[in-house]
Amino acid sequence: KYLNLQTFHPFADASKGNDTGSQGNVIHIRIQQRNGRKTLTTVQGISDDYDKKRIVRVCKKEFACNGTVVDHSEYGEVLQLQGDQRNNIAGFLVNVGLAKKEQVKIHGF
Amino acid sequence: MADLEGLDLNKKKKKKKVVLDLGDEEEKSTTPAAPTANDSNELDLSSMKKKKKKKTAFILDGDENNHVKEENNSHTGVEEEELDLTKKKKPKSKVLILDENDENKDATNDSEELVLTGKKKKKHKILPDDSEKKVSFADGEEADVADLIQDGQVDVGLKTWSGSDRDYTYDELLTHVFEIMRQKNPEMIAGEKKRFIMKPPQCARVGTKKTSFLNFAEICQTLRRQPKHILAFILAELGTSGSVDGNNQLIIKGRFQQKQLESVLRRYIREYVTCHTCRSPDTNLERDVRLYFLRCNVCQSRCSVAAIKSGFQAVTGKRARIRAKAMS
Repeated sequence: KYLNLQTFHPFADASKGNDTGSQGNVIHIRIQQRNGRKTLTTVQGISDDYDKKRIVRVCKKEFACNGTVVDHSEYGEVLQLQGDQRNNIAGFLVNVGLAKKEQVKIHGF
Repeated sequence: MADLEGLDLNKKKKKKKVVLDLGDEEEKSTTPAAPTANDSNELDLSSMKKKKKKKTAFILDGDENNHVKEENNSHTGVEEEELDLTKKKKPKSKVLILDENDENKDATNDSEELVLTGKKKKKHKILPDDSEKKVSFADGEEADVADLIQDGQVDVGLKTWSGSDRDYTYDELLTHVFEIMRQKNPEMIAGEKKRFIMKPPQCARVGTKKTSFLNFAEICQTLRRQPKHILAFILAELGTSGSVDGNNQLIIKGRFQQKQLESVLRRYIREYVTCHTCRSPDTNLERDVRLYFLRCNVCQSRCSVAAIKSGFQAVTGKRARIRAKAMS
C-alpha cells in the first residue's frame, strides 16, 4: 500500500510560475517613439495577482509622468507610461519585489 | 560612434599586444645564457602568463560589450584561479629549496637579468633540480618528466604522485589537465580571445521622421543571417515599422541614432548569432517545426532561440487611433 503523504498538489504553483526558471512570466518593458522627441513606455506581462491600477498610481507619482492601464485581448493588462521610463520601471519592479532581475526584459534601443 | 571607438580600441589592443610580444621576445633574446631546454620552455610559459594578464586587464578596462566582458571574465576566472594556484605552490617549493641553491644561482647568471624575470627563473630553475632529486629513484620516468616539465605545478604534481600511493587532489588533476590541454593545442593560448569584429551600422536620416540603415545588407552578410530575420528583430525591438528599399537599405520609421541601432544589433548577435554554450559566432540558424534552432559549428551544440515577438503595441497618433477604432 502506498500512502500519499503529500497533501498538496505537486504542480499547484507551476501554473502561477513563481519560479524564475520558467520563461512564462517575463515582464517585457518596451519603448515606442511618438511624435517628436516623445516616447511611450509599455510594461507587459505583470501577473494577474497584482493590481495594475495601483502600480500605475505609484509609478505616476514616483517617476513624475502620466500613465494608464490598457486592456489587451492577447497580452492582458498593459501599463503605459509617458516618456522613457524603462530603467525607472525596471528598477521599481525589482525593488518592490514584483519581479526578479532576470525576469525583467528591457527592449528597445 | 561607440562601436567605432570600440573598434579603434580593438586595433589599439592588438597593436599593444604585438608590441608586448616583441618585448617578450626581446627579453628572451637578451637573456644571456639559458642553461637548459626546460628553462626556455618555462620562459615561454611565464611570458604567456604575463600576456594573459595584460590582455584581461585591457579588456576589463574599457569595453562596452557586456556579454563579451562576461565571457572574458568567465575565461579569465579559471585562468586566474590557476595562476593563483601556481603562485601558491611555487613559493612553497621556493621556500623549501632556496637556501640550498640560492647562492649558486646568484653567482652564475641571474645577476644580469631583469629583476622580475630573474625571480621567476629562480623558481623555475630550482624546480627541475628538485624534481630530479625526488624522482631519481624512478630513473625510467625521467624522460617523461622532462617532457612534462613546463610549469612548476606539473612537476610538483608528478613528484608527489610518483612516490606515493595517495589519491590525487582535485587541484592537482585540474592543473594537470590544463597543462595537457595547453601542450596539445598551443594555439589555444595565443588565439583564445578571437574577437568577433564587424563594421558599425551606418545610419542616415531620411526626411525628419525616418531613419535609413545604410549597410544593412552588408551586416546581414557578415552575420550570415537572412535579412528578413534581422529586420523582424529590429522592428520588433524598436517597436516601429519599416522596410528594405531598392538599394538594400533598411528604412525605419522613427528617429534613431547609430548607437541605438548598434545596441539593438548587439542584442541580436547575443541572442541569435553567438553560440550560447561556447560563444563562438560560427553558427547556423535553422528552422525546425516552427521553431528556430541555433546550431554551433564549433561545439555542435543545438539550442532553441526565442521567437521574435513584437508584443504589445500601443496606438500612438491620431490616425492610428481612428484606424484602430474603425477596425474594432
